[in-house]
Amino acid sequence: MTDTLRQRLIRQRLPWPAIVAGGLVGLFILAFPFLFTRPFPQHLMILIFLYGVLGQAWNLLGGYAGQVSFGHAIFFGIGAYTSTILLSRWNVNPWLGMLAGAAVAVLVSIIIGYPCFRLRGHYFAIATIAAGEIIRLIFVNWDWIGGARGLFVPMLDESLLNFQFHTTKAPYYYIALTLLVASILVTRWVERSRPGYYLMAIREDTDAARSVGVDATRYKLFAMIISAFFAALGGTLYAQYLLYIDPDSVLPLALSVRICLIPVLGGTGTLWGPLIGAAILIPMAEFTRVYLGGGGGGIHLAVYGALIMLIAVFEPGGIMSLVKRFRKRRT
Amino acid sequence: MLSQLLISGFLMGLIFSLVAVGLTLIWGVVEIVNFAHGAFLMLGMYATYWLYRLLSIDPLFALPICTILLFFVGIVTYRLMIRRVLTAPMVAQIFSTFGLMVFLENMAHFLWSSDYRLIKEPLVHGRLEVFGLFISKPQLVAAAGAMVATGLVYWFVTRTQTGRALQATAEDKEAAALMGINSDRMFALAWGIGGACAGAAGVLLANFYFIFPKVGDIFNLTAFVVVALGGFGSIPGAFIAGIIIGLVQVLGGHLVAPAFKSVIVFIIYLVVVIARPQGLFGKF
Amino acid sequence: MPLLEVNNLTKRFGGLVANDRINIEIEEGEIVGLIGPNGAGKTTLFNCIAGFYTPDEGSVCFAGEEITGFPPERVCKRGIARTFQLVRVFKGMTVLDNVMVGAFSRIPDADGAREKALEVLEFVGELENKDLLAGGLTVAHKKRVEMARALATDPRLLMLDEAIAGLNPKETEEAVELIGEIRRKGITIFLVEHVMSVIMPISDRIIVLDYGKIIAEGLPQEIATNEKVIKAYLGERYRAAS
Repeated sequence: MTDTLRQRLIRQRLPWPAIVAGGLVGLFILAFPFLFTRPFPQHLMILIFLYGVLGQAWNLLGGYAGQVSFGHAIFFGIGAYTSTILLSRWNVNPWLGMLAGAAVAVLVSIIIGYPCFRLRGHYFAIATIAAGEIIRLIFVNWDWIGGARGLFVPMLDESLLNFQFHTTKAPYYYIALTLLVASILVTRWVERSRPGYYLMAIREDTDAARSVGVDATRYKLFAMIISAFFAALGGTLYAQYLLYIDPDSVLPLALSVRICLIPVLGGTGTLWGPLIGAAILIPMAEFTRVYLGGGGGGIHLAVYGALIMLIAVFEPGGIMSLVKRFRKRRT
Repeated sequence: MLSQLLISGFLMGLIFSLVAVGLTLIWGVVEIVNFAHGAFLMLGMYATYWLYRLLSIDPLFALPICTILLFFVGIVTYRLMIRRVLTAPMVAQIFSTFGLMVFLENMAHFLWSSDYRLIKEPLVHGRLEVFGLFISKPQLVAAAGAMVATGLVYWFVTRTQTGRALQATAEDKEAAALMGINSDRMFALAWGIGGACAGAAGVLLANFYFIFPKVGDIFNLTAFVVVALGGFGSIPGAFIAGIIIGLVQVLGGHLVAPAFKSVIVFIIYLVVVIARPQGLFGKF
Repeated sequence: MPLLEVNNLTKRFGGLVANDRINIEIEEGEIVGLIGPNGAGKTTLFNCIAGFYTPDEGSVCFAGEEITGFPPERVCKRGIARTFQLVRVFKGMTVLDNVMVGAFSRIPDADGAREKALEVLEFVGELENKDLLAGGLTVAHKKRVEMARALATDPRLLMLDEAIAGLNPKETEEAVELIGEIRRKGITIFLVEHVMSVIMPISDRIIVLDYGKIIAEGLPQEIATNEKVIKAYLGERYRAAS
């Protein structure tokens, strides 16, 4: 679908300005930490990239396969906790911890996904809330991993090998950017190959998809595994970046909601939707937090809620569908 | 000790039943899950609180006011939003009510802060002693009220002309439409009654329970479990399942650890929907 | 050896027996019609064969191998494809993507699947609509896209659930022609219709179902004059001729 659209665009539009513009944007993003050396802009970009990754992870399962999960904080939290526990208990390098976290998250995703994929629609969404709350409550009450007090990530010397930097945010910026690019490339590959078509078919009509040979459970698990994998990588990045985690920051339902809101705003089931959603929502949240002080009195979350409603009712395709419509009108 | 727990679990269970009846009715008739159901309950609680604080109206007398108020909140929700997503993809349906929940909870937080509030001296207060067991009077009144309200809804749905039309719509929209039933009005009614159930439960709870913006969350999640256990769309099912969940919660909290009482409830949800998706009972 | 063999198949829903000891044999290359009044159990039988329901008793054999209780995706891999009574295309995907999903069942790479899908689309005459969203098509076009999606899986047996019902006379004519062409490719066809008049001319053989049981079986002209069949249809207020 987007395939042919994009091909047509490439063929019809002058390629040079597009390539030049793309190159300039790429250069700008690469040079960003040198252009904006103050911490806040860099912090903002790191968060955008991080949530872009999380949104893309959700998008694979929720957007392409149509399985709405309100429990993605599980995988994020598992990523954050696994690497942090490995580091603080057994001095395992955070990079290895990151992979271990992803492995654990994948395992948990299979344990949750396999039975829950028999459920459809609302039942699945509620099951993911239940699973998320079960895991959060276990973590809150599990003293060995810090319980409700959380865990501090042990300070290591600043180096890429140690995945810690105390004097500059720039390396975090590039790590987050790498993760984001990886998540987009993987999604692009999925979108253009058999799994992507199968996931969309499952979303549109699971029974009809099965009747033409789609093993729905298997492909939903496939989406869930990639999704959990990237969410967990994001979790470790978060832990190494902020150096402190607790169940309230990496496992709450509110985080799961934020994760799914990003692709919903940008456009579910589209390659660029999650990044667009993150680029709009994260600055909005950060600015309201900064300007409205501390908790923000809930107003920015109320705006979130209103946004979700408006999108669901008037533009279920998110911003990407606005963009598509705009393009159609121009061609 | 144990019987004390069972009593309070039973009383709480009746309130879960009422909340779940509203949810299951909407689910059964409109086939949409109302994620904002707990937020409706929270609105009912705050309405009760402000009527008490500002106009000195006791929760007992606030009951009809708030129930009617939430009835209209339900109808307005349907008219302004749900109607537009009836034929939309399921994802859009989920997000519409989910967005409403996020919106209402955080508006409450913004307007009334996240403080825990309590109605200090309601008309009904204190406790009864029966055979050495202590029963809180507000809780008893709440449970009785919830039972009556649940009974009323059941009576309405099964015994009145309109209620039967509602049931027919739940069974088969097209057939109901052929019989001249306006499904749009039935949907609105289901949302109204659903909202009223949540509102009534909110008032009854406000008599003895803390009031805060996220108070609905736990009732919402519990109501999902109750609905799943009772069978989606079944009122008697929701009634019995509510009591079961109330008992399981206190027993689980007592036998395992208080912190894990919701874990047990959520595990029940997962087990029920995966192993016996039709619930313990049928429809209506 | 018949291509499809249904032995003593029974399917119950609660107290209702939707399919009661059904025996059917379909030879390779045949077009077999299944008719019966509303609620006779036709779609239930399709669902049992295609793996959407598990029969309570009896068996389904395809090309000499038992496939009873296989999930739909495995049934499809064996070579049975189907369409649905209420047409079920992937609404949010383009026509080409719809058919590619079918093609992917035999061809894992996207370019190959696209080529195959285009070929099938040309065959059913939907090539010019390939870039449109399937959800926006008329019912007749949707039915053809659904058929193309099923054909793209390279089936040996194609089961059509009311492929003609609801079409206007011109569309019906086209659909009948298409079914003939599909058969010429060597694909066996098993089709369900509610209305007798459309199924008679294209079927080699007809099976009549009523209240879950086979009440008659034979050549179209035999069925048209069979008293039990006429009674079953008259009893349902519709006339056999309509």
